Amino acid sequence: MELRVLAFLADGRIPSASTEDALKRAVDWGLDIIVAQGTGMDPGPHWLGSGQPYNLEAFKANITPYLKISQDQEIPFVFSVGTAGTDTQVEASLQKINEICKEEGLKFRIATISGQIDKKYLKSKIENGTKIKRIINTSWLKEYLTVIDVDEASNIVGQMGPEPIMKALEQKVDGVITGRALDSGLFMAAPLSRGIHVSVAAHAAKVLECAGFAATPGTPAEALYGVIRNDHFIVKPPNPTMKCTIASVLGHSMYERRDPFREENPGGYLDLSKVEFEQLDDVTVKAYGAQWVSTAYSVKIEGAKKVGYRTLFISGIREESLISQIDDYLATISRQMKETPPFATLDHESDYQITFRVYGKNGVLGELEPIQTTKSHELGLIVDVVAKTQELADSIGGYFWSRILVSPFKGRKTTAGNVAVPFSPPIVSAGEVYSFNVWHLLPLDDPLEPFRIRISDFPA
Amino acid sequence: MKLGELASIMRSKNAGPFMLSIDIIFNSWEIYERVKKSGLITKDGVAKIYGVSESAVHGVFFIDQGYGIKVSLIKKIPSGAIECTDTFGAQHHIPLRDLEIP
Repeated sequence: MELRVLAFLADGRIPSASTEDALKRAVDWGLDIIVAQGTGMDPGPHWLGSGQPYNLEAFKANITPYLKISQDQEIPFVFSVGTAGTDTQVEASLQKINEICKEEGLKFRIATISGQIDKKYLKSKIENGTKIKRIINTSWLKEYLTVIDVDEASNIVGQMGPEPIMKALEQKVDGVITGRALDSGLFMAAPLSRGIHVSVAAHAAKVLECAGFAATPGTPAEALYGVIRNDHFIVKPPNPTMKCTIASVLGHSMYERRDPFREENPGGYLDLSKVEFEQLDDVTVKAYGAQWVSTAYSVKIEGAKKVGYRTLFISGIREESLISQIDDYLATISRQMKETPPFATLDHESDYQITFRVYGKNGVLGELEPIQTTKSHELGLIVDVVAKTQELADSIGGYFWSRILVSPFKGRKTTAGNVAVPFSPPIVSAGEVYSFNVWHLLPLDDPLEPFRIRISDFPA
Repeated sequence: MKLGELASIMRSKNAGPFMLSIDIIFNSWEIYERVKKSGLITKDGVAKIYGVSESAVHGVFFIDQGYGIKVSLIKKIPSGAIECTDTFGAQHHIPLRDLEIP
């Protein structure tokens, strides 16, 4: 039993000149399925909080070559889409798929699986006593999810496991499009359906899910080819300028994970401590030895809530006499702001929050910065205001712009202006700000329960 | 020598918004073993360097097969929090980089 997989990333990566060529090679090698992940929370909570689609034209260019191969060679596909994978983002992505079908003359029957968790459903689980525990022990998350958390989140999504995808693949469809999904789950579905043991399916999925990142030179912008068999799998890149080595595959396994030996999944974890690798040829690596340990089934759910509106005042400081006293200077102006109407009546924790980002000093590391004395001849200063309304954020940002530009300081000679402002208007209204408030484990008796599947034909 | 000078790869990245993961990879067993045997990369040591409690250090993992060390810890400021400076957690290897290894 073997399954031949082509893995790529569907998060809006524009194909390069080498993509078409690499696809041809993969097709020549033989393909049973094309799989890509297109969701993730790496870029922060904005897309989960706002539900706004991102980079749709790039997404269209990204997946078009693969949809064409799928049609041409009758190879099914499984893609997660939409950045945070909310329903609005999936709908926007499906519209792009519809456009591709019309423009390229393609026809698909597609199963769409929502990754958005219904709030009423979640609240009733909580009210009926289901304990939804936070994944990380941090004071930023409630230990157990509450009804208030659910209400405050603008969107909640869940990392569906392979099971809903397996169910969809059984339905005689040409492809499966999901919203938020467990990256590995996308790759596990087909091998599990074919009876390949979960230890091998889950390990292969883990290596394939970042595509060309597991090769060298490593880049997720390139595809990766894999053959999954009963007791091992092999990987090699279809791009002839790349290769998989034991080091490159191991390097990727470590990447972005908190534990290199244990990979948590819904329904179990993968013990990687006895994994073995073999370099089969210059470009191909064989892997085996991972062990699946079953546990209770639960899925990670993720949510973000709005915390305010942001305005930025960005300026550059070149005058060394201000650079040397910048902390005191900003502290003085902050104090004056708190004493000045209309700001004097505001609560400086719940109505607004100001963060000074002083690049060239400690803008990146803050209090972790080991270099205590700034020798820079130039600083980049961002006054970052987050407030309960955009008007208030703009108003506070405006106050800082006007005061920072002209306030006195000890030894000042620059009495015409203290900083260099690059833009007009000097302040930038940056819109809604979101923060993760749900990062919890939802126990499930039925892995399919929260994830609705529907089937439709494209083009519509 | 400083840890950052001995490493061929030294990188940090978030493992989810609430956890920071730092990878230190060496290109020889000898160097890897020297660092491992120094006993300087410990939960307690990492906790002090990053200003967190020891219980916030999820793990210090030695990956013999890959000549690599992974350190994972719960972040004081999660990705996307208002005062976050590093959404991807990509520049937070620095505090560990200057660790002096005999």
